Amino acid sequence: MRETMQKRIQIAAAFCLLAAGMIALAAPAMAAPAEKYLHVKVEDPAKDESVHINVTLAMAEKILPAINDRDLHNGKVWIHHADMTEMNGVDIRALLDALRTAPDNEFVTVKDKDSDVRVAKANGDMIVHIIDKKNKEQKVDVMVPMKIVDALFSTGKNDELDVAAALRALSDAGDVLLVTVQDSTQKVRIWVDSRNTQD
Amino acid sequence: MILLGKIALGMASVGLAGAGVLCSEGVVHVKVIEKEPQGIHINLVAPALLAPIAMHLAPRRELAQAAGRIEPYVPVIRAALEGLRETDDVTLVEVKEPGEHAKISKLGGSIIVDVDDEGETVHVSAPIRAISSTVEQLAAAASNPLYCQPTTPDPQ
Repeated sequence: MRETMQKRIQIAAAFCLLAAGMIALAAPAMAAPAEKYLHVKVEDPAKDESVHINVTLAMAEKILPAINDRDLHNGKVWIHHADMTEMNGVDIRALLDALRTAPDNEFVTVKDKDSDVRVAKANGDMIVHIIDKKNKEQKVDVMVPMKIVDALFSTGKNDELDVAAALRALSDAGDVLLVTVQDSTQKVRIWVDSRNTQD
Repeated sequence: MILLGKIALGMASVGLAGAGVLCSEGVVHVKVIEKEPQGIHINLVAPALLAPIAMHLAPRRELAQAAGRIEPYVPVIRAALEGLRETDDVTLVEVKEPGEHAKISKLGGSIIVDVDDEGETVHVSAPIRAISSTVEQLAAAASNPLYCQPTTPDPQ
């Protein structure tokens, strides 16, 4: 009788230990999602210059609506002198709708003596590659998840970009390299990840 | 003799408690070193709790001027400080140029600014709470008619 009791206590203890271990293992996963950082890195090795900026998206989301100056109000940028639905004869919304529903593909390729431009969609991301041959072989790569493009254009108005909504969408997106610009001397990178350093 | 000891202990306790209260908000540290042979060396460490108190002692005209300048940016500063308070320790901005290095970071509830160039080295650290309360006082001064009264012009 006593041995049975001891055995039960041992089993209960083993269960408790197992449960404690599982909770300990699961705790980091159950914890609040890691803070997301927007990083900007500008480097000019020729001049030995560099600028590094690290801002949490949460902080940017808080600050942005507080800035009400010129074309930026309540986290939205007003594009003046341009009706976005009819920008230079291009229906941007229709174009984005088409891009959203289209399968991964290369949509635009322009090659001339001054520049190469390529617009494509891959893995749900909008990708733009520009090579400016005139400006010392400057290369611009932009990769924006479609979710962020949608958030940018989520305002009902035709002449507004919702930057605050885009920041919120970025918080929900994974680690993403947004922009790289490379010319003969300078290199610029803008990306989002969960690390508070650029190392 | 025992009575004297008790008085001394009491005074020491009051002193310690006072120092504790004064430093409860952290400290403001300003260090400026000019890299010249006769350059100035400033090393100031002051309890952050004194910053809002010092605001009350500042001349009204200067305070009104500062309040007027800062007023348009108060909502942004307020939002930034609120965001910074909730942020983990991070280097916000770092700029490196030949002979110059500047860094703004958040470390343990304080904002730290370090500038090191050919002429001088500057280090400023201030607790975010102290910056917040100082900004709020400046904002209050901006909306207080007492501070906004035009000063009488000098007859000469």
